[in-house]
Amino acid sequence: MEYAPTYTEDELVQGLKARDQKVFSYLYDQYSPALYGVIVKVLNDNTSAGDVLQEVFLKIWRHLDKYDPEKGRLFTWMLNIARNTAIDILRSKSHKLEQKIQNIVDDVHAVNGSLAVHPSTDYIGFSRILEKLTKEQRTLIDLAYYKGCTQEEISRVLEIPLGTVKTRMRNAISQLRNIINK
Amino acid sequence: MVGIATDEEMRELEAAMAQYPAVAAQVEACRRSMEAYVIMQGIDPQPDIKASLFSQINNEPNLQEGLPVPDKDLQQPKVVSMQETKSLSWKWIAAAAAVLLVGSLVLNYVFFNRYKEFREYKDKYQSLLVSQNSILSKSNLYKTRLEQMQESMEIIQDPKVLKVPMPGTKAFPEALATVFWNPSSQQVYLKVNKLPEPTADKQYQLWAIVDGKPVDMGVFEMGDTASLLQKMKVTGKAQMFAITLEKKGGALAPTMEQMYVAGKIPG
Repeated sequence: MEYAPTYTEDELVQGLKARDQKVFSYLYDQYSPALYGVIVKVLNDNTSAGDVLQEVFLKIWRHLDKYDPEKGRLFTWMLNIARNTAIDILRSKSHKLEQKIQNIVDDVHAVNGSLAVHPSTDYIGFSRILEKLTKEQRTLIDLAYYKGCTQEEISRVLEIPLGTVKTRMRNAISQLRNIINK
Repeated sequence: MVGIATDEEMRELEAAMAQYPAVAAQVEACRRSMEAYVIMQGIDPQPDIKASLFSQINNEPNLQEGLPVPDKDLQQPKVVSMQETKSLSWKWIAAAAAVLLVGSLVLNYVFFNRYKEFREYKDKYQSLLVSQNSILSKSNLYKTRLEQMQESMEIIQDPKVLKVPMPGTKAFPEALATVFWNPSSQQVYLKVNKLPEPTADKQYQLWAIVDGKPVDMGVFEMGDTASLLQKMKVTGKAQMFAITLEKKGGALAPTMEQMYVAGKIPG
């Protein structure tokens, strides 16, 4: 699932720190679909998602000097910014937890809704993942990742014992790893 | 896995990652799986967003004046950053402990030196006390001696006092003693100039010859006491003085063979 890079990660970081707009443009083209996907999934709302995406890229551009390659890959760092920014907005809208959950549960099999899937994505691969993960496994992963729910919150809302949530979460992650690594 | 573990689990995970590279590799693999999952769900944003983004970047007068972003948003994977603070705090504790150890060693050294100094002073003080005591007792001794000498001088310089030298007899030619006699006060003093030290069971005895008869004037001490004038018994009349060696405590009559010195009163 790697994007064919015309820049190595080092070259990307150096270019961005040098405020090279060509490099930033490349970064946007390569990673905006993934970050936009995260924002849309978190907010479950594609009207404000565009503004949030712009805000996220502005943060990346302004704060690149805070990125430390020793601590992780550039994509991981960018993904965290997108996810944290979107979750903060979600929380500030004070959506009820139940509402958030419902969105996710409804959304699980509605990938082909009004939103177009990024063409460069291996859609066949993604369908394969959807087949191999149970609905419950996807719900658990999505609640934790996209909604920032703690395992206690998941346990409370889905009315599953905390120990069971932990076990099923572990199985879901391990299943995901097996599928991705195939 | 950001967002999929509880705080407690994260701490356990961090500890394990720090200890075992294999665990760290597993976590990284999980993170990559999650990221692949996210990439696969990517959605193309509307094309006008990019144009808007770049026009905003180009209109920014100073990039440094960008709005402050909550640090939380810029946080790198928690697992890694927490590890750093952990090793950092450990370093601080180690540094603090080292500083404390050095400080304690320095204080030990300082106080030990002070203690040594104090001990020296204490010794000096004690030896000073001792020497002061000995000086004091010596000074008392000298004072007594001086008083005795003054007394002796007064007696000798008294014009009423007669000086009676007693040279050694034929048997003891080396011996010599002197009597100082004040006929008006009848007081008799004896100065031993030279007499051999007697055995422990013997004592010298002074005699006055009054009208041809020996009169006991008392026994006297030898040693240190002999260097001073010794006060003897009183007599109003005497033509001669003599000293014999007798048994301890003195005799009723002088032993003539043991007469060491004898001297007539001049005039």
